Amino acid sequence: MIPQISVIMGPCAGGAVYSPALTDFVIQVSETGHLFITGPDVIKAVTGEDVSFEELGGAMIHASTSGVVHFVFAEDALALDGVRYLISFLPQNNLELPAYFTPTDLPSRTDDLLDQIIPDSSNQPYDMTALIETILDDGEYFQVHEHWARNLLVGLGRLDGHTVGVVANQPSVLAGTLDIDAAQKGARFVRFCDAFNIPLVTFVDVPGVLPGVDQEHGGIIRHGAKLLYAYCEATVPRVSVITRKAYGGAYLVMNARGIRADLVLAWPSAEIAVMGASGAVNVIFRREIAQAADPEQRRSELIGEYEEEFNNPYKAAELGLVDAVIEPRETRPQLIAALEMLRSKREALPSKKHGNIPL
Amino acid sequence: MKSVLVANRGEIAVRIIRTAREMGLRTIAVYSEPDRDAYHAQLADQAWNIGPAPAGQSYLNIERILEVAAETEAEAIHPGYGFLSENAAFARAVTDAGRIWVGPPPAAIAAMGDKVASRRIAIEAGVPVVPGTESPLEDPAEIVKVADRLGYPVLIKASRAGGGRGMRIVHHPSEIQEAMASAQREADAYFSSPEVYLEKLLTDVHHIEAQILVDSHHNYVYLGERDCSVQRRHQKLIEEAPSAILSLPQSQELGEAALRIARTCEYRNAGTVEFLADSSGSFYFLEMNTRLQVEHTVTEMVTGVDLVREQLRIAAGRPTSAIGLRADGHAIEMRINAEDPYNNYMPTPGRIIGYREPAGPGVRVDGWVSAGVTIPRFYDNLLAKLVVWAPTRTQAIGRAKRALHEYQITGVPTTIPVHRTVLDHPDFISARHHTGWLEGEIILTPSEPEAPGSLPEEEGVLRQDMTVEISGRRFVVSYWEPDVGQEDPSAKVRRRPPKPAKGPVVASDGAVTSPMQGTIVKVNVKVGDRVDAEDTICVLEAMKMENAVAAGQAGNVVELRIEAGDSVAAGAVVAVIR
Repeated sequence: MIPQISVIMGPCAGGAVYSPALTDFVIQVSETGHLFITGPDVIKAVTGEDVSFEELGGAMIHASTSGVVHFVFAEDALALDGVRYLISFLPQNNLELPAYFTPTDLPSRTDDLLDQIIPDSSNQPYDMTALIETILDDGEYFQVHEHWARNLLVGLGRLDGHTVGVVANQPSVLAGTLDIDAAQKGARFVRFCDAFNIPLVTFVDVPGVLPGVDQEHGGIIRHGAKLLYAYCEATVPRVSVITRKAYGGAYLVMNARGIRADLVLAWPSAEIAVMGASGAVNVIFRREIAQAADPEQRRSELIGEYEEEFNNPYKAAELGLVDAVIEPRETRPQLIAALEMLRSKREALPSKKHGNIPL
Repeated sequence: MKSVLVANRGEIAVRIIRTAREMGLRTIAVYSEPDRDAYHAQLADQAWNIGPAPAGQSYLNIERILEVAAETEAEAIHPGYGFLSENAAFARAVTDAGRIWVGPPPAAIAAMGDKVASRRIAIEAGVPVVPGTESPLEDPAEIVKVADRLGYPVLIKASRAGGGRGMRIVHHPSEIQEAMASAQREADAYFSSPEVYLEKLLTDVHHIEAQILVDSHHNYVYLGERDCSVQRRHQKLIEEAPSAILSLPQSQELGEAALRIARTCEYRNAGTVEFLADSSGSFYFLEMNTRLQVEHTVTEMVTGVDLVREQLRIAAGRPTSAIGLRADGHAIEMRINAEDPYNNYMPTPGRIIGYREPAGPGVRVDGWVSAGVTIPRFYDNLLAKLVVWAPTRTQAIGRAKRALHEYQITGVPTTIPVHRTVLDHPDFISARHHTGWLEGEIILTPSEPEAPGSLPEEEGVLRQDMTVEISGRRFVVSYWEPDVGQEDPSAKVRRRPPKPAKGPVVASDGAVTSPMQGTIVKVNVKVGDRVDAEDTICVLEAMKMENAVAAGQAGNVVELRIEAGDSVAAGAVVAVIR
């Protein structure tokens, strides 16, 4: 099995669209490339909707809304450069390892920026992309699906010359929650990395699953299960770094110890719990708060106690859910050491025709 | 005897384990760290680590080897050749530990290991020796005197010399001082004894050796001679049996001389008595090797005797089964070493990439390597011994050339090109070669087909071979292409592409919507403000997190539907941009 890449440079319509749809990556060129099953004329005739080629099947619409396209480039030559660059991260086939590049970035490099990246207030977002770029070799991070489901980042980079697949929550979009699109995006990427022997590095800062009727009715349960399934099934090395929030079921899905992550590292800012402090206090101490002389004061006291107890990684480390609490600046050397240790990991799944991922 | 420990490595360890297994013995191998996956360690019933790579800490580590022998209750220890095989102290230690030593009595090893003492024994046995001194020499002036009497060239030789080490050829009295010093240095380094003596250097002679077997039932057996005259730097490269220059009576005479020496030194087990012989067939005693020889295979091929089996039988106190055998046909052994014959036979340890042994009638390969195996730089570089047998010498040479043609080794240079050149040479074919012949006469031309790809005069081009079929016939075509140097893996394409295109997703209707349900904590714009696509309209708190809601397109804020403190649903319009 080899990695397959499609480049849509012109119109691609009707049954032909399934050809790129089956490949691992789809690259589309702006303006010249169009991708749809039924064209604007048919849509007009059938539904009366008036839509242009670009609005229906243009590069950006597929890259941002439908999630069909992974990368968009402005012209053909740039798209081909993009293919070359993408290939530099990939193996020739599923039996080989991705090409190794003699690193030009010190494996021991630490970065103080990481010590400052988490805002003082836990409700302030920060840009996870900057964090990832600080840690990877030469800041090289090739983001996949940059415009779609931006609350979850996926992309390729290198650590000490070896390709890694990076999955990370993006706190500055939708608070970093997981939703239907994010789960699908993550699941597809995790499965790609697993199929082609690319170790997975996951950065976790997830407050939960996006609440909402449309999410629930849209089937977030089964879509979220795709990401969970993909991680559970992955036999490549899997390392997680919890930078801040790791709450409830959403954290479980993000390569938690409970789904057999090989190594879970946590920053001192990590909060690993079923839910946030105020929510937890409201549920656990409902009666006590109600009966208190000053319920609000009691509530804030209890929240303080809860935060003291659980808003740190040490309780989780005590329980074995976290392997090590590390200084943020040490993340790069720690990850490189972890992946070095896991380079010989060989795991086989029970033989079967195929698993039944909840599609 | 039920078990044997093989205190060696490489092809000889494999060779011994093979026979031991045929005899139903339990086999115990020992290995050093780099030999952990070596073939001999895989073949034996058990294999034990005896230490790090340097031989002094592993294959020469008497204490550790005896420890393994005790642990595994090995009844016998076979030392192979090299390493501890001619170490009388080891032989004694083995016997003292109550185990069977597969080799001669320690006293015989000690006596024959000293070149001066062994010459005395030969003289005592009435065997002619190479003219020289009968005792060690220390004074250069004395050496000059003796050398003048013997006539130049002479050989300054360490008393314990072996394997071509500790020897210096001297052509003129002026060279003696320096040659003596360097021979002593080498002798001291290799044999821990700086004693040297003097021998006349016989030129244009054949190196001929007699294989003997002596058991403890007074059977003295001579199994014919071997001719090992194709040498470089006193190390044998091609050996054959029988010798083409000895007649049958001469061979018998040689055998009787060898057995007389064996009787004199109270020898037992397999041994080899080495002689130098001139073209008339007169021979001089050189030395005795109190062990199995590398080239024992050619004797096995012409006599049908399994010498390792005989060694084990004799060591166990049983009579030899090799009595009354006659040699039949002709056998040639070629040593396949990892060394570069085009570069002064420089050892070339390294990883073998491709390996295919020859086979077919009359071909035997005693080896230990295969594709993917790394030849450690710590030990000798013998990969395999290619042995052929045929009814006549001429047929054997033809068979040897055929087998060499089939032999494919890639990854390290080997001695195969030398063998081909020698086997084709009229001097070798007519047996006119001698011990100095290979170095003196043979000039290897590296333009042979199996020469390294790049020709010296064509620096900068790389030879490529391609198989083509023209009108149904297969050809191998060579062509030369510019050598662009080893491809640097980091030179592969890894250019960062330009940032993927951004830009308006779709021409929208200008409505800015809330991405999720939450509370507006801050509004950054007023109606009428000019905004860019990246600008923040308001900050929404949801999931305990502040989310900036961006304008999404450039324009003027024409409508603002929220203020701080408002609760908004996902998808609710917060502002309109035009």
